Amino acid sequence: MWGEFLKREIPQLYGMFMRRWPNPMLAEELVQRTVFDAVRGRSSYDPSRGSPEGWIFGIARNNIRLEMRKRASRGSVDGDISRYIEAIDSKPLPDEVLERKETGTVVRAALNRLENKEQTVLRAKYIEGLSAYKIARQMGITEKAVHSLLYRARISLRRELKRMAAV
Amino acid sequence: MKSKENNLEKNISRLVKLAGDSNEPSEVFADSVVKNALAELKGTKAGPKREGSGKFTKVKWTKIVAYAASIIIVSGVVIALTVPRLKLVRDGKVSWSQIGEKGRADEVTGTFSMPSDASKKVAARGQEAYKRDKIENTNAASGPVTSARQAESSVEQREDRANGAGLLAEYSVTQADAKVIPPVEVVTAARRHAEPSVGLDMGSIGVIGKLEGEKKPPVPILGDMPVIGGSDKAIDKKDQSWSYAKAEKEEVRGPEALALKSLGGSAGRKPAFVDTPRSFGLDIVVEETKRAPGVVCRPAEPGPGGYPMAHGGTTPPNGEDVDAMFFKNYGVNPFVDTEDDRLSTFATDVDTGSYTIVRGYLQDGHLPPEKAVRVEEFVNYFKYNYPAPQEDVFEVYAEAAPWKFGTGRKNSYLLRLGLKAKRVSEENRKPAILTFVIDVSGSMRRENRLGLVKKCLRMLIERLRPEDRIGIAVYGSRGRKVMEHKGLDEKDEILAVIESLHASGSTFAEEGIRIGYGMAESAYKKDYINRVILCSDGVANVGQTGADDILEVIKKKAEKGITLSAIGFGMGNYNDVLLERLGDKGNGHYVYIDTIAEARRIFEDNLTGTLQVVARDVKVQVDFNPEVVRSYRLIGYENRDVPDEKFRDDKYDGGEVGAGHSVTALYELKLWPDKKGTVATTYVRYKHADTSAVTEFKSPMAAGDFNESFGSSSSEFKLAATVAEFAEILRKSYWARGATLETVLERAQQLSREFKGDADVIELVDLISKAKRLMKKTDVKPVETEEDTN
Repeated sequence: MWGEFLKREIPQLYGMFMRRWPNPMLAEELVQRTVFDAVRGRSSYDPSRGSPEGWIFGIARNNIRLEMRKRASRGSVDGDISRYIEAIDSKPLPDEVLERKETGTVVRAALNRLENKEQTVLRAKYIEGLSAYKIARQMGITEKAVHSLLYRARISLRRELKRMAAV
Repeated sequence: MKSKENNLEKNISRLVKLAGDSNEPSEVFADSVVKNALAELKGTKAGPKREGSGKFTKVKWTKIVAYAASIIIVSGVVIALTVPRLKLVRDGKVSWSQIGEKGRADEVTGTFSMPSDASKKVAARGQEAYKRDKIENTNAASGPVTSARQAESSVEQREDRANGAGLLAEYSVTQADAKVIPPVEVVTAARRHAEPSVGLDMGSIGVIGKLEGEKKPPVPILGDMPVIGGSDKAIDKKDQSWSYAKAEKEEVRGPEALALKSLGGSAGRKPAFVDTPRSFGLDIVVEETKRAPGVVCRPAEPGPGGYPMAHGGTTPPNGEDVDAMFFKNYGVNPFVDTEDDRLSTFATDVDTGSYTIVRGYLQDGHLPPEKAVRVEEFVNYFKYNYPAPQEDVFEVYAEAAPWKFGTGRKNSYLLRLGLKAKRVSEENRKPAILTFVIDVSGSMRRENRLGLVKKCLRMLIERLRPEDRIGIAVYGSRGRKVMEHKGLDEKDEILAVIESLHASGSTFAEEGIRIGYGMAESAYKKDYINRVILCSDGVANVGQTGADDILEVIKKKAEKGITLSAIGFGMGNYNDVLLERLGDKGNGHYVYIDTIAEARRIFEDNLTGTLQVVARDVKVQVDFNPEVVRSYRLIGYENRDVPDEKFRDDKYDGGEVGAGHSVTALYELKLWPDKKGTVATTYVRYKHADTSAVTEFKSPMAAGDFNESFGSSSSEFKLAATVAEFAEILRKSYWARGATLETVLERAQQLSREFKGDADVIELVDLISKAKRLMKKTDVKPVETEEDTN
């Protein structure tokens, strides 16, 4: 029951978070948090007060509120993104930067400039979320080679990102 | 730079996700959330009815603001605990306070991230290690540990075993998919080690979980995270106090409470566990279940960025495979136009370690890494029979001849400068106070490295005189004084102490070196040779494992007259750069001993030279006459470069030269056509070892002194040329393009006839032919380049 319920709801939740903040990493995190909260707090579900969907979306909205509060306490991000991209080695990128439209454009452009292999491995790892083992099997190389390819791909992407962001 | 890698990886991971096309979560992600949620449902009972789950999360977040230090830890635990199941959080901040040195509370903060596949992998490793351990030592693995000390020792044992068994290489891939399910218990804050290059200390923690589908054994997961601040001194478990108590007083609910319960409430304290993930220079220090804050962070990934960083340099061993070799590539000197810079300045180097290491590689059937080849150490390994000066401290010998090496250059000359130090007879050697600092960590057990150390010490002791004194300190997980300085009249006792040494534990080199220097300082006597002799395989994995911090200490002591000899033992994870730099800074030198024959060369044949330094801060400056010499290239000495203007700066560190030692430097020269006159003037500047009086002298060489042809040069000259060519080809120097080992081998064979059975030359022939075969095998084709116009 739970399995089906979650399978149905996760994409909905994900979509909801993505609409709020177009940041896949954050959306995943919020989905996880919401599902976790739901599972842990399942005894708080009261059928008399509504459907399970409504209940879990309530939890999700709560998490959105919390996230907003967290953001309010942080300074906002301004200026162009290139200075954040420059500092890509030294500090985590602020969520706000990730949510800018231009960031997505820059990333896509930078990715497209990489070699095929490097693109593939980055997409497999970070978009599809596959493990190195699975990637290795898919690409027909060793796990170690995946790691070294990933390493190189990150360096290449950094280079291209900097180049694209500076334009 | 681990943190750099982490940030990059994190940011890239977040950025790349932006390029995903849809508003749909990836299947892998959705599946894993569902699966983990189901596991969670099975594993736990529903919590008590709360006012709403949002509420407790809210509590959690406000607390982060309010009680950052304590609560973040706890939520860190919760997050970490759930990570294997929920992939909940990949990165975040963590902080806690701990009582550091002198009871001062250190606030420790850092960041962490935990890719779920990595955590699984670590878990799988742990399982493997655990099983192995279970078979080998049921008691240590499963018995309740009653004291921290006991935990530590069992940990050490296991670490050693893991090392010895080469466990690291054996984790199978299928197990990487094993899954960790709750309940998960946090066992221990495990260890700290330093990452001096980024000013970070690394801390880690152990978690014990259970494998899905397996009733037992519990699976240890080791996490690893950077923490900023703190002191390496806090390694002592007594000094570690976590802010757990603070957290305990707070009213916490929800996951926090659960985490606290699992921390404090896991009554049957599990032994601290040691897996030896590849990036761990491992030392488990704390086993304090009650107070452990349980911060699990990024588990050991296979090295930064998933792949070992470029080896060598000042990159500390942390985060590296324990078997990684550390060499530094200093590049290759270019040709310099005399019009731009007529002066070539370098510090002398009498080290020979590079040759010995490369010999080991070749004899094992491998080509050495290029970085391991230092040409000057190759050249200096051989004896060139320069007559020792009678009166002066040094004599300079120069010889030059036309030289053809590689394609692309014509009309080259090879100039060999030899610097020979006066001999001191064994009777006239000053009495010595030697402090041995011996690495007895687990890695020294490999290939019986410690056995070789003992043999060397016995050999040395046989050669010492009654008035010499010996003291011994060792280091494993901790440094420790083993024997106060004793005179050689108590030889039997000294030998017994040496015999009693055994290897175990991790490698806290810094502490050992500090203790050794402390002993040397209290035993210091003027007019004696005061020398610390470090015997190690060079792998320091606890404390300041990078060289910089130790170097500072060593440099200071060297100024007081306590010098250092670094002796490397054992192939494999032998930290070449660290030891070489230690020897340099300690005004001593560094050698590498791989066989008992090599030990004999150093301790028996040349003990006086090894111990008694006749000149310090020896610098050589060659002034090429631009009228005659068009350009020059110093072959080797890349890491001994001294800025020209520092030649007469007596504070600037130079090399040290022992009695009877010789230093050979080779230059490749291009001359202007048909010029006569002085080619080069060699200036040598040094401090007298006893009086510290600075002496400088010069020695000119005229073009007329050049040999007509290479063939008419001396055998020693040819030998030096041959060795240099060999090294240049091995390190794939740019200037060796087009050169082949065939010619080098031919000449070496001819030389071995001329030297009539000199063992070193025979060995050289053997090594060259081995290298030749290996190069063919690996299909290394010399790069053909266009002839340049000169």
